[in-house]
Amino acid sequence: MSALCKVIKAKLTETPMQFSEVVDDHLEVSWRDFLQAWGQLREEDIFKRDDIGRYYIEGGAAEAIAAETKAE
Amino acid sequence: MAKKSFRDFLIALEDAGEISRIKKIVDPREMSGLAAQNDKATIFEEIEGYPGWKTATALLSSRRRLAITLGCDEDKIAQTFEAASARQIEPELVKDAPCQEVVKTGDEVDLTSIPYPLMHVHDGGPYISGTFVVSNDAEYGRNVGSYRMMYRSPKETGIDLVSPSDMRFYYQRALDRGEPLPIAVAIGVHPFEMLAASYKAPIRTDELTLAGGLHGGPVPLVKCKTVDLEVPADAEIVLEGEILPTGWTADEGPFGEFSQISGDVKWNPVFRVKCITHRRDPIFYMLQMPWENDWLSAPVTEAAGLQALRVASVEPVAIRAPVGSCGYWTLIASIRKRPGEGKNALLALLSVAEVKLAIVTDEDIDINNPDDIDWALTFRVQADQDLVTLSGARGKHVDPSIRAWELGQGGLPLTAKLGIDATIPEGIPRWLYKRIQTYGKERVRLEDYL
Repeated sequence: MSALCKVIKAKLTETPMQFSEVVDDHLEVSWRDFLQAWGQLREEDIFKRDDIGRYYIEGGAAEAIAAETKAE
Repeated sequence: MAKKSFRDFLIALEDAGEISRIKKIVDPREMSGLAAQNDKATIFEEIEGYPGWKTATALLSSRRRLAITLGCDEDKIAQTFEAASARQIEPELVKDAPCQEVVKTGDEVDLTSIPYPLMHVHDGGPYISGTFVVSNDAEYGRNVGSYRMMYRSPKETGIDLVSPSDMRFYYQRALDRGEPLPIAVAIGVHPFEMLAASYKAPIRTDELTLAGGLHGGPVPLVKCKTVDLEVPADAEIVLEGEILPTGWTADEGPFGEFSQISGDVKWNPVFRVKCITHRRDPIFYMLQMPWENDWLSAPVTEAAGLQALRVASVEPVAIRAPVGSCGYWTLIASIRKRPGEGKNALLALLSVAEVKLAIVTDEDIDINNPDDIDWALTFRVQADQDLVTLSGARGKHVDPSIRAWELGQGGLPLTAKLGIDATIPEGIPRWLYKRIQTYGKERVRLEDYL
């Protein structure tokens, strides 16, 4: 797993995020490298989605935050 | 008339002063934000990390550009589309294709090699929005449609097959057999192909014959490299592969929908790409949501409305699918009315696809003027006599008012429909609607007195 994958994985375990928020956190990375990293995580089949479309990963604080958030 | 390509269309728009070219290097993450600030269509000439690639967007984001595409006045779009598409010219197979100048298979297949754009704040990922998707069913034949594709990984996308469509039907049939559905996705085709793909043709109708009618000549097709399908030979990019037989199980969305709403997460199938072909200097087409989608929908909805009126033996004068209802959910028509035909016309218009509001008025009303429509609604309508409502008709998920989230995975929504008969009611003399006419206007000229 690439370093970028590990960073994204850690962040999404901590807090749910919209895809664009994940992108905004890594604007210094080339778009292609970002998409490669995102694709690697996708292939691990670890992403969950909450009611408002945010991504998160189980096993950390993100899971509880996502569960509390209901679409209004 | 020779069939025109996507590139020919770009030249036509540029000649009409409707395109601006951005020559500075642009990060793919900046394309959507820049295009949204441009009143014209945009071509990004240099994209960071994608040497040799360009991106074109917002090509049909106005009624004027749609009229340029069809070569007609803005108020004749529906009639022009209807007449041209009725010609139906069969496509022809060719051997050499610009869209196959570069062929990538196996490990070379990598969707990150395409400047896959992130378009909206709440999108679930980068999207290819302007697709021309070809599929086939042994019994029903070739089908063409347009389906958004969310990036998942270098070889996979999500594909939105939630709404009822012929390809959804093909996929369901393949799924029932436990098989994948092979598809080919052309990106960067002429708008006539996109219009044909938007057209809800009866099953067993090859939409490519409609595109041929619009062009006035056959659409050249080339056989795909890895699937038994054909695609427009002059496309910019083609993705070949199959929709996996996993059903509606993968998260997809939200995406900035043609309803002008962000939408929500849906459960959809996955498209696995086996081959990417493209021109040596490809132009990626980023269909700007919602405007291009809405303007592409309008002539298709309007033409379907004209046909429905004629089948109902009602004489149409003008028809409009307003962009406020996305060129899709509302039809407003003026007719040359005989007794009872206001209601007949409503029933006809409400039979079109997912149209949920139809307004019918008389030929003296300018349906392109909202004030004129308001006037007709005010003085020709009695709510207890001139409204028609229907329940339980086919709806579309992207309409929040139908509560699609209550349906569960793969469920199909229902909608109610409303028709308003704003024609002069039977039994009321026409002279009661005589408009005010200014005295002496024809005899004097204001500029002579200023």
